[in-house]
Amino acid sequence: MSEVESVPSAGGTAKAETPKFDPRILIFTCNWCSYAGADLAGTSRLEYPPNARIIRTMCSGRIDPVFVLEGLRDGADGVLVTGCHPGDCHYVKGNFRAEKRFHFLKMALKQLGVEEDRVRLAWISAGEGEKFSLLVKDMTEKVRELGPSPLKSSNIKST
Amino acid sequence: MEEPRIGVFVCHCGINIGGVVNVPEVVEYAKTLPNVAWAEGNLYTCSEAGLSSIKDAIKKNGLNRVVVASCTPRTHEPLFRSTCEEAGLNKYLFEMANIREQCSWVHSHEPEAATVKAEDIVRMAVARARWLEPQDEPEVDVADSAMVIGGGISGLMAAVSLASQGFKVHLVEKEPQLGGITRRLGKIYPTLEDSSDIIDPVIKAATSNENIRIYTSATLKDISGYVGNFKAALKRGTEEVKLDVGTIVLASGALNYEPPKGSFQYGVLDRVVTQLQLEEMLTQGKLAEPERVLMIQCVGSRTGEVWTYELSDMTQSFAARLLSKILGAKKEEGWPYCSKICCMNAIKNAIRIKEQWPKAHVDILFSDLRTYKEYEDFYRKARALEVKFIRYIREIPPEITEAPDKKLKVTAYDTLAGVETEFLCDLVALSTPLCPSKEDVMLARMLKVPLGPDGFFMEAHPKLRPVDCQSDGIFIAGTACGPKDIPESIISAKAAAARASILMANKKLKTEALTADVNTDLCIGCGLCEELCPYGAHKIENGKSKTIAALCRGCGVCAADCPRRAITMRHYSDRQILAQVEAMMAQ
Amino acid sequence: MMVEKSALVIGGGIAGIQASLDLANRGLKTYLVEKSPSIGGRMAQLDKTFPTMDCSICILAPKMIECFRHPKIELLTYSEVKEVHGSAGDFTVKVVKKPRYVQADKCVGCGTCADHCPVELPNEFDSGMGVRKAIYIPFPQAVPRVYTVDKDNCLDCGLCNSVCNAKAVDLEQQPVELELHVGGIVVATGFDTYEPFRITSYGYGKYKNVVTAMQLERLLSASGPTGGRIMRPSDGRIPRTIAFLQCVGSRDQRFGYPYCSSICCKYAVKDAVLIKEHRPDSEVHIFYIDLRVFGKGFQEFANRAKKEYGVKFVRSSPGEIREDPETKDLTLWYEDTLARTVRSLKADLVVLSTALMPRSDSVELAKILGIDIDRFGFLVASDPVRHPVDTQVPGIVGCGYCLGPRTGDIPDSVMQAGAAAARLSEILMAESV
Repeated sequence: MSEVESVPSAGGTAKAETPKFDPRILIFTCNWCSYAGADLAGTSRLEYPPNARIIRTMCSGRIDPVFVLEGLRDGADGVLVTGCHPGDCHYVKGNFRAEKRFHFLKMALKQLGVEEDRVRLAWISAGEGEKFSLLVKDMTEKVRELGPSPLKSSNIKST
Repeated sequence: MEEPRIGVFVCHCGINIGGVVNVPEVVEYAKTLPNVAWAEGNLYTCSEAGLSSIKDAIKKNGLNRVVVASCTPRTHEPLFRSTCEEAGLNKYLFEMANIREQCSWVHSHEPEAATVKAEDIVRMAVARARWLEPQDEPEVDVADSAMVIGGGISGLMAAVSLASQGFKVHLVEKEPQLGGITRRLGKIYPTLEDSSDIIDPVIKAATSNENIRIYTSATLKDISGYVGNFKAALKRGTEEVKLDVGTIVLASGALNYEPPKGSFQYGVLDRVVTQLQLEEMLTQGKLAEPERVLMIQCVGSRTGEVWTYELSDMTQSFAARLLSKILGAKKEEGWPYCSKICCMNAIKNAIRIKEQWPKAHVDILFSDLRTYKEYEDFYRKARALEVKFIRYIREIPPEITEAPDKKLKVTAYDTLAGVETEFLCDLVALSTPLCPSKEDVMLARMLKVPLGPDGFFMEAHPKLRPVDCQSDGIFIAGTACGPKDIPESIISAKAAAARASILMANKKLKTEALTADVNTDLCIGCGLCEELCPYGAHKIENGKSKTIAALCRGCGVCAADCPRRAITMRHYSDRQILAQVEAMMAQ
Repeated sequence: MMVEKSALVIGGGIAGIQASLDLANRGLKTYLVEKSPSIGGRMAQLDKTFPTMDCSICILAPKMIECFRHPKIELLTYSEVKEVHGSAGDFTVKVVKKPRYVQADKCVGCGTCADHCPVELPNEFDSGMGVRKAIYIPFPQAVPRVYTVDKDNCLDCGLCNSVCNAKAVDLEQQPVELELHVGGIVVATGFDTYEPFRITSYGYGKYKNVVTAMQLERLLSASGPTGGRIMRPSDGRIPRTIAFLQCVGSRDQRFGYPYCSSICCKYAVKDAVLIKEHRPDSEVHIFYIDLRVFGKGFQEFANRAKKEYGVKFVRSSPGEIREDPETKDLTLWYEDTLARTVRSLKADLVVLSTALMPRSDSVELAKILGIDIDRFGFLVASDPVRHPVDTQVPGIVGCGYCLGPRTGDIPDSVMQAGAAAARLSEILMAESV
């Protein structure tokens, strides 16, 4: 997964291995819509980068902000929360709750220096396989540009 | 909790997974994970051979958790769960890792990366499996009796359908007599039969059925409980009647909207009536032969509509009126929806008038003529009888004034002729919509059935569950959830009966295992869960949240918002989800 | 008399699926017979449903899977009813399972066979807008997920057989005859869409950019032949000006049918909104006679289409459509009846909102069942007012569009299915409690 680049260094042209940054993206999906959309991307054989890891819950309304924070701390460089389109929630309005919570989470994350594109919320229906694959592609590339997450425990110096 | 002994089964799925992911490598990797007591690869785990292999492995290795890494759980999870049960394992001790739809099928150009991802996915599934616990699907009893609220055609049909299947039915009607609005109709469309021919046999069928107990002049005073076990209190005069029922059918009907006094001169001039009042006049013989009757469609319905017109040849005064109406527009009285049945009703009354008095003129001012399905034939019949259809502008209410000789003068814009036209008529009939009654608000609160944006009761899902309410065990029939004609009301009533009969016939209801569990030691009774739950599954009692498991659908919104983390979602606990998050990166 | 506590449902669209679920949950063993390789029907072909704009397959697929997995439902897809004898409580039905040339118990639905099949032909599911192979599943979410060989177009090359790892292909497979004993029958065979070739002034079949609403639906569908991009047939360009013509073959005493198909105005408004969502700068015109957006939420939906999305509504029935032979753009000539002027509109794409009509095989099926059909081919209810789902034969009921337009939409079909299930329960489960 890493590419070897030759890096000219002072005093010679020694080859150094600088791995190209491969972000890890954590995706939360809901059982009824976005997980099914991800499945459809698979049934349709739509290729996307292998950087994402998916966790399934029954409803996007189940997603506690702590899950997102824990994800960032444990090594995710980006977190994507997905659920049903507004009005389509299998449990009536769980996704509205998720959106509200997410709004406050983003405000808190901003304070912590987490960039806008690192943590996102998206609505994916069970029929939107292509949208899912494009979203993963887009997220992966944007986070790749941003570099490793500032909240990664390995990046946080102990005090 | 016992020491987890996890079995991991990695599927090749022919070449679907095996052609991209290095399955043997994933199997070897799985063996290195803590708590994994067994790992093997299968060609097709879902085949007979694969399933036998799982059962053998469980027995031979004393496995108490199973992970299958293969396709999406949305297809075969139930199959694998049954297999675990057959081997003596609780079905909730099973977890799937999706390495096909979400791995091999989307990374076929990157087999190495796909293999690493498959290993990660398996590691995450194993991490969750460690924390899985056996779950019960609790059962509640369902009483085999139903309460039907409303004794109109829908309530009666639902009651008869249930009673004929052997269920006991308690029918509650607030009026002294049964029959609802159907009683007030003289004739029905399109057959022009007497409405009594429709409703009387149904009333007879209900009153003569020994499984149906009818309470007239009675209202619902209070209701508590949940699906299968509702406790209702009726008020009948000074008497109180207590009922225990398993299901409820809400068939409380709708009202015929009456415009506010002065609107269209209704309530001011006695020759301006609603279509229903005209109906009653015709049936009771209270109308003398008219020279001309004018009907106005969409009065008090389709409010909020804004259409613009390009009007050439308008008279000056009319143009001025149009402009002032648009500029000085105050909120229209009435309802925003289309009431669906008014076009047919007007045509029916028009035909009745023409058939009784062929020389009478009937004009119908319409906006869109909604004679759907084969009702087109009814429209053609009216035109053949020389009923005139004039397209007016709904947003410009026709002006109605008194004229000499007890006539009425109506001025309206005929869009097709392009002129403002005056009509001199004997009677004006306003076609008004069916609308919800104010009492519905109270019923809605009592039953915890929400009202939709149009004010009618709201169904659980407009497409998939059109006669269910969100709260389990309560069903809707007839015009209570929106305007319908008689055949549609009968259909919805029978459909509601079908749904109620399913619950009662099965006598027991298995409820979700994926339910919320409140730790009352931590709970502070803040009430947020009660407020958030769309199913009313949480109730604050004695300062603590009490969960009605039968109503909980397992969405988990309450758990995520509880300020004290007092709520655990069975099978989707914080611990289980966080284990997956923590396992995401290889250690 | 022994009453068979079981039912047969003919037709696996949403009405048939719902009837099967209601019957099976009620305790009746139910056979669901579907002519095509998969259940799902018309609803599976839709992108979104009005007026709530739900994704159609998202709400349908769980019901399809529920049918498939239900312990009391036996799915007999790619099968047809051939003979029916008996009476309510005791029907004997002969069903023929047509050979798929693939063994259902071995096929895992992986699709390797289709990848290798050399034959490509127009896909019925995509209303001719897309392609499939001679070995195929009709759509990605098909239930059951078993491939079928279209023997009429198969070359017998055997490639599918050689690449199938599960050894599921069996090109020698024979039809299987089944005899079922059921207490009641539900007819839920649905509708076909009118193909307006005869209305020559509209140029359907001649002009490439004149399509039916069902074809547009497939273009709009995220899992359709163009992945949800509305690419017009002649050059793949995304159209900017689109015209919908209502009542094509409906309310028509010359071509098509004199009745109103009940749902075309609604689906036109829905499709117009979808097009505006795909391309906000597009111009969408709906040419109507009466805008029949009745029922729950529809008038409000049409109001939004006009106010928020800027869909234009023109009260007119265009006389003629002409095609520019080079650009393949279309020009409509019409009289705007409210503005009282004759105008023309140049459109990139014209969508004909065509009538919904009875299926061509309804005559044959009615004969087999001994039930009446009307002059169009719809099933006739024994009393359209009092007994709206009963047929003339006790024990045989109907639901959905095969009974005629009615309200015509999905909630109506689902309610009719419930009513049909209730009727059979009343007949078959009278002494159950």
